[in-house]
Amino acid sequence: MRELTDLWVGTQNWLFETFVGPLLFGIGQMAWYEPGYSAVEFVMVGAVQILVIAIGMRFFERRWPLERAGDDRLVSVDRVYTLLNKLGILPLAIFIVTYPLTQEIELGMRSWGYAPPRLERLLPWLGDNVLASFLVYFVLYDFAAYWLHRAQHAFPWWWALHSLHHSQRRMTVWADDRNHVVDDLLITLALVLFAQVVGVQPGEYVVILTVGRLIESWSHANVDMSFGRVGERLIVGPRFHRLHHALASAEERHIHDHNYAPVFPIWDILFGTAIYDGKIRPTGVDDPVIDADNGRGWIVQQVTVFGRFVRALTPRFMRAPFQSGLRPPAE
Amino acid sequence: MKKLALAATTFALAVGTAHADSVLVLNSEEASYSILSRAGRIELSRLPVGREPHHLIPTPDGKEVIVASTATNELLVLDAKTGEKRRVVRDIIDPYHLGFSPNGKWFVTVAYRLDHVDIFHSDGFRLAGRIFIDGLPSHMTFDAESQTVFVSLQQSGRLAAFDLATQTLKWNVPIGNTPAGVLMLPDNKRLLVALTGEDGVVVVDPKDGSISGKLQTGKGAHNFWPKGDGRHWFLSNRVEGTVSIVDTQDLKVVGTIKVPGGPDCMDITADGKELWVTQRFLRRVAVVDLEQLKVVASIPVGKSPHGVFMLKSAAAGPVAPISPAGGPVRAVSTAPGSR
Repeated sequence: MRELTDLWVGTQNWLFETFVGPLLFGIGQMAWYEPGYSAVEFVMVGAVQILVIAIGMRFFERRWPLERAGDDRLVSVDRVYTLLNKLGILPLAIFIVTYPLTQEIELGMRSWGYAPPRLERLLPWLGDNVLASFLVYFVLYDFAAYWLHRAQHAFPWWWALHSLHHSQRRMTVWADDRNHVVDDLLITLALVLFAQVVGVQPGEYVVILTVGRLIESWSHANVDMSFGRVGERLIVGPRFHRLHHALASAEERHIHDHNYAPVFPIWDILFGTAIYDGKIRPTGVDDPVIDADNGRGWIVQQVTVFGRFVRALTPRFMRAPFQSGLRPPAE
Repeated sequence: MKKLALAATTFALAVGTAHADSVLVLNSEEASYSILSRAGRIELSRLPVGREPHHLIPTPDGKEVIVASTATNELLVLDAKTGEKRRVVRDIIDPYHLGFSPNGKWFVTVAYRLDHVDIFHSDGFRLAGRIFIDGLPSHMTFDAESQTVFVSLQQSGRLAAFDLATQTLKWNVPIGNTPAGVLMLPDNKRLLVALTGEDGVVVVDPKDGSISGKLQTGKGAHNFWPKGDGRHWFLSNRVEGTVSIVDTQDLKVVGTIKVPGGPDCMDITADGKELWVTQRFLRRVAVVDLEQLKVVASIPVGKSPHGVFMLKSAAAGPVAPISPAGGPVRAVSTAPGSR
């Protein structure tokens, strides 16, 4: 483990001291020296995730595919999303936009004397167990993500954005990052604030993101595999999450309003939104406006989905008669 | 059973020995601190502490060491011999860097992210005054008379002086790019300010902040630590990856030690043979042999190690309080590192 840590940190240090550090020094931005070092780690984590997806997860998709037929051309745009996200290009843009607000909120709280308590103050035993501490913060983080996901489906304006993620008819390990940048921005902002409030440490945050996003990539995989009866109730897998992407039908108008959990299905079980029926359903959205996202490139998707978002925000009496794509199709 | 008893005895001896010869390191991005064995060159334990612990300083009587837990608005008071937790002082807002005035009367913290300097009566940490000042206040030093505290402002590139008794601003002047460590020299007539955004230190008049000289040391000059002879100081250069030995009398660099990984805070062993330097980026602490002037060991610790402190063995005697003259020092630098 020590050798692995040394290899990781050594690589991060080399990249930073060779490229990023001298750049920050050269342009006189040394106040960003430490954040710059963290950014290098973020990109490294993304590169590792891409390798795990492209080599590891894709092996299982090729070996045990669930859907053998389908248009593979629909997947190429999802690869673009994954690269932009995992290599830090979109997160950097989101960071620049959200940083002033998150800082203002955090510093405002602290200047009033409020410091978010670490859970270790309430549960001292957590401080002595690194793994238990990590798991508790991971579960809390996932709890917040579960309710944010429900909000993405509940509010018409948010669904207008999030429907891009659901419009993919061809589910693969690349589908997880297929989101509108405004949707990413809102989720990032909410989760960063939540992490600050409950006291997630920067180091823990990186690990939670790394592990969590890998599990989420896997849950979108086109594989005919299961974690088993017990495992499927502990960790979200492809079968569980595929139901959340299911195409609504006349018999199952609300099918996609289930299995929301990003990592731990316990939230769906507790809040009555879990379905374990083992059925294999086609995926996508039964709204032609949303379904038209398929086949479009990254830029066109971003522009058209933003248009849906703006229409959803427009007061009802000012909207054009054409209303498709504004609400979850089941409602 | 005999084996068990033997193991327990060995462990107890090892721990006892370690505590008499141990080093404390703050892992700023892990909310923890490590206790290392100086002789064994290993981490003995890692304990939770606040959130974003960056800097520390011993109390004037040398019996305790105070850790500033930046993001939880509190000070953690540890035993200066064992590193064990003693108590928590709450409601100290955003304590990033901290220091006692030479006479022990004043205790000062700078709020790096909230842009203010807090001056406390050190007896009971009673707030005497808070001065808001823009530009990321980061490091401090005091004059010998305990009348003035000098604070570097990293973002605005300035140095400010505050009157301790009245808690008012005396002057605030531009000094260079990203100033960090500040040091009052033994003559009490010259300040050295490390410029992390440049490649050296500037010499400043404490009366009015005017610059009278400059010394090139290395890119990312950051933080001072006294060698203990009242003349030489170590200076970490974060971008260059070196530690310079500065002769403050002749104002020249008399030695350079390669320390990779963004070297930051330092402390010297009681026998003066080793300098311990936190390597922020490598998650390690470097041990520098001061005869060979090279790193002889690098010990793994937690993420982003920042403050470092030699725990006081009984044999080492009491800790002297911080001396701006840099005395025959067992003093703690008031300027251990910054971001």
